[in-house]
Amino acid sequence: MRITSTNAAFLMLGPVAFFVLFFLAPFSVLVGESFMRPDGGWTLANYTAVLGDAYYWGALLNTLLIAFWVSVVCFLLGYPLAYYTIFHARSVWVRRLIYVLLVTPLFTSNIVRAFGWIVILGRRGIVNESLLSIGLIETPLDILYSKLSIITGLAYILLPVMVLSVCSVLQGVDRSLIEAARDLGARPSRAFLAVTFPLSLPGVVAGSIIVFALSVSAYVIPSILSGGREMVTPILIFQQYTATFRPDIGATLSVVLLAVTLLLIGAYLLIFERRVRMAG
Amino acid sequence: MRNMQQRIADRLGRLLIAGISWVVVAYLALPLIVVVAISFTTTEYLRFPPQGATFRWYWRFISDPTFVEAFVLSGGLAAAATAAALLLGIPAALVFARKRFPGSAALSAAFLSPLVLPTIVLGAAILQYASALGFARSFWALFAGHVVLVTPYVIRTTLASLSGMETTTEEAAQDLGATPAETFFLVTLPQIKPGVIAGALFAFINSWINVEVSIFNSTAQLETIPVKLFNYIQFNIDPTLAAVSAATIYIAIIAVVAIDLSVGIEKAAINTTADTRN
Repeated sequence: MRITSTNAAFLMLGPVAFFVLFFLAPFSVLVGESFMRPDGGWTLANYTAVLGDAYYWGALLNTLLIAFWVSVVCFLLGYPLAYYTIFHARSVWVRRLIYVLLVTPLFTSNIVRAFGWIVILGRRGIVNESLLSIGLIETPLDILYSKLSIITGLAYILLPVMVLSVCSVLQGVDRSLIEAARDLGARPSRAFLAVTFPLSLPGVVAGSIIVFALSVSAYVIPSILSGGREMVTPILIFQQYTATFRPDIGATLSVVLLAVTLLLIGAYLLIFERRVRMAG
Repeated sequence: MRNMQQRIADRLGRLLIAGISWVVVAYLALPLIVVVAISFTTTEYLRFPPQGATFRWYWRFISDPTFVEAFVLSGGLAAAATAAALLLGIPAALVFARKRFPGSAALSAAFLSPLVLPTIVLGAAILQYASALGFARSFWALFAGHVVLVTPYVIRTTLASLSGMETTTEEAAQDLGATPAETFFLVTLPQIKPGVIAGALFAFINSWINVEVSIFNSTAQLETIPVKLFNYIQFNIDPTLAAVSAATIYIAIIAVVAIDLSVGIEKAAINTTADTRN
C-alpha cells in the first residue's frame, strides 16, 4: 500500500505522542529523580551513596550471578529441545504439542508458576516427601529459599523464550548446507558442530540476551522463592518505594541496574561479533 | 564394522536429544499440572497427589468478592490496554511496513524496547511520573503502564503479517481509485487479521499476568489478580490459592487454543516471542 508522507505522519501521531508521554517522559522523570536533592537541586550524592555501599554491590553481584546461571541453564536445556523440535520432530502434532507446552507457561503469571515450585520443592513438597518415603534422607532438605531455587524458578520461566528464539533461527537454517556436509562424509555430530551450531548462534545470542535481561529485572520469583534470604536489586528497588520511602535511591538503583545490564549486553555482543568476524 | 559402530553412535545421539527434550517438556508442564491437581484436593492443606476431588476451593474463590473484584479489574485493564495497543500499534506497524523514512528503524526499535527493558524499572518510572502529575496508584496509571508494556506485541505480529503479505492487491485497489482508508479496511485488514488477532491475544495475556508494572501502582482497593495472588501467597499457601491459580491457567490454555485456531501456535510463538532482527 502506498502511503503519502502526510498520511504517514497522521498515522504516527498517536503512537509517537503516547510513547513520548508515557514512556520517554516517565523514564526521564526517573533518571532526573536519581540526580535530585531532596530540596530540588542537582547532585551526584545518590550515586555516591549507592555505589559506595557494599550492601548494594552485594545485591547487584548476586543479581548478575543468578542471571548468568539462569542463562546457562536455559541454553543447556533449551538448545536440545529447540533442535529436536525443528529437526527431529517430524509429526506436525508433536511439534504442535511442544509449542503449546512452551507457550502455556508463558501465558501464566510468574506467581502461579512460582507457586507450583513451592509445592514441588518445599519442605513438605513433592521432592522432599518422595526422598523421605524411599528413605534417601531422614530430614527434609532446604531446597526452597536458596539461590538454587531462584535459579530453578527463573530458568523455568525463561526457558520458553530461549527455545523459541533458537527455534526461529534453526528454522531458517538452509538444510542443504547440512546435507552437503553429510554428503562430504561428515558424521552428524561433526556436521552439527561445524555447520548447524555456528549458523544457529544468532538465535542463542538473542535468546540469552533476553533471558539475561529478564532475569536481572525479575522481582516476583526472587521475592517468592528466596524467603528473604537472598537479596537482589529489583527487591531493593521495590523496597525503596514501598518500605523505606526513598524514591531517589530507588531511581538511582534502577538507573544503575539498567546501565549495568546494557553495558554487559553490549560487551557480550561485541565479543560475539568479533568472534564471528574472526571465524568468517 | 566401524560403519556400524558409527551408526549406533548416531542413533544413540538422536535418542539422547529426544530424551533430553521430553524431560525438558515435562519440566515445563510439571508446575502447572501440580497446581491444577492440588486445586481439587479435599484436604485443608496442599497435597500432591490430591486426595479425592472437590470444587470446594473454587466455590471459596468465587464467593470471595476481593478475588472476584481483582479478576474483574485485571480483565477490564487487559481489555482496555489491548484496545489501546491495537489503536496505537496497527497504524505504527502499517507505516513501518509500507513507508521508509529517516529514523524509521530507530523509531521501531524504540517502540519495541519495552520488551527487553526491565519491567520493574518501567513500573517505578510510571509511579514517579504519575505521582508528579497527580494520578499515581489509579486505574489510569495502571492503564498507561500496561499500554506501554503490551503495544510492542501488536506491532510485532502485525508487522510480521504485513511483511509476509503480497502488496499487489493493495496497489490494484489504489490504482482503481480506492482511498487509503478503503484500501486498508477492505484489502489489507482482512489479510493481516490472523496476525492482528494473535498480537491482541499476546497483548491481553501479557497485561493479564503482569506483576512488576502493576505492583507499583496498586492499592488495597486496586489490585489486579496477579498482585492479589502475590500479596496472598506471602501469608497463605492453601488450596484456595491453588484454585485461583488454576483458574488463571485455564485462561492461559483458552488463549493458546485461540491463537492456534487463528494463526497456528507455531507461527505465532516464533513471530512474537523470538527476537526480530530485521
